[in-house]
Amino acid sequence: MRAVQPIAPMSVILYHWEPNANSGKPMLTLAEKGVAYESRYLDLLQFDQHKPAYLAVNPDGTIPAMVHGSRVLTESTPMMEYIDDEFPGPPLKPSGAEACWRMRWWMRFFDAYFAPSLSMIGWSIFIGPAARQRPPEELRAAIDRIPLESRRIAWRKALFNEFSAEELAESKRRVLFATRALEQHLSRSSWIAGDTYTLGDINGFNLGYALPLSQPEHCNDTQTPHIMEWLRRIYERPAARETWAKGRTQMVARVKILERHS
Amino acid sequence: MLELYTSEPNTFFLKPLIALAEKHAAFATHYFDAASLEQFADGVPRDLESSLQLEREGPLLVHDGTLISSSFFMLEYISQALPGASLMPVDAYDAYRARAWGQFLGAHLGSIVPVLGAAKYLFAHLAALDPAMVERRIAAIEPIERRAGWLAVRDGTYSPSYLQAVRERLRAPLARVEATLNGGPWLAGPAFSVADIDAYPMLRVLPDLAPAAVNAQSTPRICEYLGRIAMRDSVREALRTARTAHPERQFVPGIEASRWG
Repeated sequence: MRAVQPIAPMSVILYHWEPNANSGKPMLTLAEKGVAYESRYLDLLQFDQHKPAYLAVNPDGTIPAMVHGSRVLTESTPMMEYIDDEFPGPPLKPSGAEACWRMRWWMRFFDAYFAPSLSMIGWSIFIGPAARQRPPEELRAAIDRIPLESRRIAWRKALFNEFSAEELAESKRRVLFATRALEQHLSRSSWIAGDTYTLGDINGFNLGYALPLSQPEHCNDTQTPHIMEWLRRIYERPAARETWAKGRTQMVARVKILERHS
Repeated sequence: MLELYTSEPNTFFLKPLIALAEKHAAFATHYFDAASLEQFADGVPRDLESSLQLEREGPLLVHDGTLISSSFFMLEYISQALPGASLMPVDAYDAYRARAWGQFLGAHLGSIVPVLGAAKYLFAHLAALDPAMVERRIAAIEPIERRAGWLAVRDGTYSPSYLQAVRERLRAPLARVEATLNGGPWLAGPAFSVADIDAYPMLRVLPDLAPAAVNAQSTPRICEYLGRIAMRDSVREALRTARTAHPERQFVPGIEASRWG
């Protein structure tokens, strides 16, 4: 059994990429809790996450990773719950078992259904073309360094544009289906878990902040008014402003679509 | 009022039965034969979340009218909502590990074990049913991802090479579980927890479905672990709910494998 560690002196180091998808989940959660952390930015497109220095922290080579004292956390959604459990600050889990269940159910739907389809489209449009600026032999060597086979396959598909038309069409179908399910859900409660802002909203925002730009025909004020209002309410939070201001790429600057103009 | 809609105590269906027994909770049982698609008959409650839940087939807990689906989160719900000792680890980092196990084993064992079980048992079971009834029930399943799980089994699309590839995918999760059990008796911290209740029902069928992968020589810690958990009163009580001689042979299609490859 591990010795119980004193909490106060333990520093938090977060290895992350842009405030987007999995990296943005702990970034926004830490900001909401008011937890100071040491930021270690990894450039996904330079494959920083597969370099030895980072593999020493997370042998799987996935981003993000959080180091809290001697504890290493590499799964972003359970990491958010840990941050809420472990640190003082405003609670980010709802009160009551039912609302907690609903928060977790939707986070899994985002992580395991919505996000993989949305990211397949995103990788085919953004990450693949951006990385293909570099010589193919360099890309092949970079892929060979990826520790997990499932991630090697994913990167190979993205870097060499190996997504089939059928796969992309199926991903688009799923994104539309999931968008409609989310709109239906947000028409019955103002936040993911009910009447309070929780980790479920943080998770969903990281997934969906750019939907109005990437899926303009399906996610807009006419078709999905509840999603639009929900995204804007989250973007207006000081913690979200602060977190997205840390973005370094045009991809993340898409969040500005959520500014209200009237 | 607490009600559990459930089938034979195996894989996803076994999990809440163990947790409810650990809590000594009283509940009403609504039994259906999931391998014969009885969960699609009238009378089984549905809502947005239960229809879209990613295990596709599984138990449904109804607590004072609220539907709770998706088996790992159902375990956390049972731990939190019902009186009795918590089934979540006390320490925040151990709780993180329990949730990370739930996510990892859900994606891996949750998509592998049902395929192996379906190939060995469910395919023959479906083939022996009235084809018109099977056709009618499968055609009515929504959403399409849930229907696709049944079509893959019925149409025999699990080829030998596909099944071999699925067996290969067992290696990583089994190695991770074995390595963790080398460090202690339970998956997430010093005590038996939801992580063990979640893992056990998926692991216990593997000596039958993948004997080359799970056996006393290759995975001694997992075999001891299975024996340790099988002795718990809660597990015996859960297994006593079986209505067939071999609940460990009843399978449903399970979680979809990652579409990324």
